[in-house]
Amino acid sequence: MAIAGSPIVQLRHFARSALAGLRASPLPAAIATLTIAVTLVLAGAFALLVRNMQGVIDRLGSEARITAYLAPGASDEALRSLVGQARALPGVAAVELVSPERARERFRKEGERQAALLDALGENPLPASIEVSVLPDHRSATAIASVAESLQGLAGVDEVSRAQDWVEGYARTVALLRAIGIGLAGVLGAATLFLVASTIRLALYTRRGEIDILALVGAGRAFIALPFLLEGVIEGLIGGVLAVATLFALWSAFLPSIAGGLELLLGGAPARFLLPAELGALVIAGVVLGGLGAALSLAGGWRR
Amino acid sequence: MTAEAPASPPPASSPASSPRRAGSALVELEHVSKSYVAGTWALHDVSCTIAKGEFVFLTGASGAGKTTLLRLLFAAERPSEGRIRVLGMPIERLAARRVASLRRRIGVVFQDFKLLPGRSVEENVRIALDVAGVPSGESRARAFAALKQVGLQHRRHHEPLSLSGGEQQRVAIARALVNEPELLLADEPTGNLDPALTLEIFDLIAATAARGTTVVVATHDPAVLERYRRRTLRLEAGQVVEDRPGLGARG
Repeated sequence: MAIAGSPIVQLRHFARSALAGLRASPLPAAIATLTIAVTLVLAGAFALLVRNMQGVIDRLGSEARITAYLAPGASDEALRSLVGQARALPGVAAVELVSPERARERFRKEGERQAALLDALGENPLPASIEVSVLPDHRSATAIASVAESLQGLAGVDEVSRAQDWVEGYARTVALLRAIGIGLAGVLGAATLFLVASTIRLALYTRRGEIDILALVGAGRAFIALPFLLEGVIEGLIGGVLAVATLFALWSAFLPSIAGGLELLLGGAPARFLLPAELGALVIAGVVLGGLGAALSLAGGWRR
Repeated sequence: MTAEAPASPPPASSPASSPRRAGSALVELEHVSKSYVAGTWALHDVSCTIAKGEFVFLTGASGAGKTTLLRLLFAAERPSEGRIRVLGMPIERLAARRVASLRRRIGVVFQDFKLLPGRSVEENVRIALDVAGVPSGESRARAFAALKQVGLQHRRHHEPLSLSGGEQQRVAIARALVNEPELLLADEPTGNLDPALTLEIFDLIAATAARGTTVVVATHDPAVLERYRRRTLRLEAGQVVEDRPGLGARG
């Protein structure tokens, strides 16, 4: 008599039993599947938002520049010395001197109003400045702040301005959104786990007769438990695929109408959908939610 | 070997129809007690041996301990005291994994059939084969053979609830026998059936015993005991009060 049994026979049994279970109680299974899908859609939407906003930070970060405005009336020699000192600072990639005249030309080019303003003032009010770009490995907020501080300490520097100030605010917003997203996903994930566990527990109760009979004819724990685990995994898989489809449908349907607002938020960068790997991760998250939920209810055990 | 019960003297002789060779004992109970509620005994100090190939009846009034004794034999319960060996396995300290492997060597039949209503007759029989990991083709053939043995091969695609009580019990017997168990246990297998069907079921069980399977059946039906005249353990208030040897009347 065969005792160990062939894996294929048992796989067939598990799949058949799991599908029979889903068919036998479609409503709890549908509720669990939809809950998983809703959780993943919300998590995916947050990921989408954070991902696009993070893109802005990465882009601005790569253009990290610090401008040091100089005190008026410095001699050419003092300016050259200052440029040399700035170049020697750690983390500095390049230093460019911008004379008041060049600053005026730039400002003038920004528009007619600016040009009119300058003309009205007569005298050039713009100070000379040096523009410092930062080495790629010094583009963290703290490293840039440290470069800015060193610049501020140089003699002849009046004021240091960083586009980074704005980027940092934006980055804090993104970090906050990410934290909210992770927190929300955590809470929703826990609630989903609880719900999946409850539906599997319900299935365990409604199919107690079958479990008793399986135990009676010599089924081991794993043989009895695996179909229920598989049920959770199938619910998670369907929930994950549903979530990806929903996200894509919402994205396609609403992107045109919110494109303007998004462009403002993203600083003109085109909004991008989640990458295939990220969509895959979302489906895997569904499978994990379903499987873990089922495992939780199975860990409670059942009557032999 | 014999029951150690206060009210029953050991039998004077052991007829040939009741083989009791200690060396080939399939079931051994030594001072076994089982209590579900403190202070009351469902079974109390039961000792007996059942040899390989024996056909034994457990009888007694409701609540005498027949079901408890059977449940101990397939490890659905553990004894509160004493030692039990079934097919060489110690029930009182059997790990869950070994309980499963023990049960694959035992067939069990209940009064309420315990069939799955949503599955066909054939699927109900094949559950025991799935658990044992028998490949699909072989499983179908063996389920067919088991159903043929109980005369129900033509009903294999029906659902159990569309069958009569007698037929449902025959399906349960087919499921119990499909893995060719070394030990067949039956708890009041005809409790829900009329006398004609009762004989039909017991003839199937007796035929199984005649093929060499060790059989232990709980019944309180005197007609059955009279008809088969096999070794009979009579229980009263959790104790074996009589161990009557069989007379080898008919199998």
